Amino acid sequence: MSNFRRSQNQSNPNKLNAILSTLIFVLILNVTIQIWLLYAALNNALDNNIEILIPAFVASFGLFLVCIVLLYYMPTGNTNTRK
Amino acid sequence: MSKKEENLNKNWKKDFPIEKQQATNVSRRDFAKFLTLVSGGLMVGSGLVAAKAYWYPKEEVEGEHFVCNKADVPLGGTHAFVIQGSTIPYILIHLETGEFKAYEQKCTHLSCSVFYKPGTGIIHCPCHEGSFDAQTGNVLGGPPPRALPKLEVFFKGEAVYVKAAQQEKVKVI
Repeated sequence: MSNFRRSQNQSNPNKLNAILSTLIFVLILNVTIQIWLLYAALNNALDNNIEILIPAFVASFGLFLVCIVLLYYMPTGNTNTRK
Repeated sequence: MSKKEENLNKNWKKDFPIEKQQATNVSRRDFAKFLTLVSGGLMVGSGLVAAKAYWYPKEEVEGEHFVCNKADVPLGGTHAFVIQGSTIPYILIHLETGEFKAYEQKCTHLSCSVFYKPGTGIIHCPCHEGSFDAQTGNVLGGPPPRALPKLEVFFKGEAVYVKAAQQEKVKVI
């Protein structure tokens, strides 16, 4: 039976390359936003604005989940080798 | 000793003891997984900051505390003090306008000791050239991200007292 993974692995290496590069780009973007969230949370915690900390944590958690989900779409390599 | 052996014994080989074969294992897939791990770490960090702020809040200054007499601090002068039961250093500043102000002496950047520059109305941090407004404690320049925490100064006759200031809610982004 053909599934998403099999067809993805059979695609052209150029396409896999583009998928992987895009995934890494999005992951870096997520991590950057999380760094900013952590920085803002720390500064506000030190300034006694604690009401902003829970939303910052929830947003960070959401971005982490996005990162986890994106790993599913990561190509495992073109295994379509000729015998 | 052959040239190859000579090369292996070189110092840089000892400093970077990774075989070429192993180095190629660090692929983009591993990098993507590592980024996800970093993302998880940042998420945990955010959670810890929130947990610390809600479960172990910063202790507020309670009650009224005597600092010194008005005559002890000349115009443009400062007086360092510590509140009983706390280790946080504060400075009392007698501004040229005649007002008294009290601030935490730790810079909000990296906790260096700040000092008042007489005649300028500026509290200065010598470590990274941070400047604060002596009237309000707000940042005027340099790397400090927040205003200096302040105490409210009031008088009982000639005696100068401090108590916790009303917190102004200003979001820092």
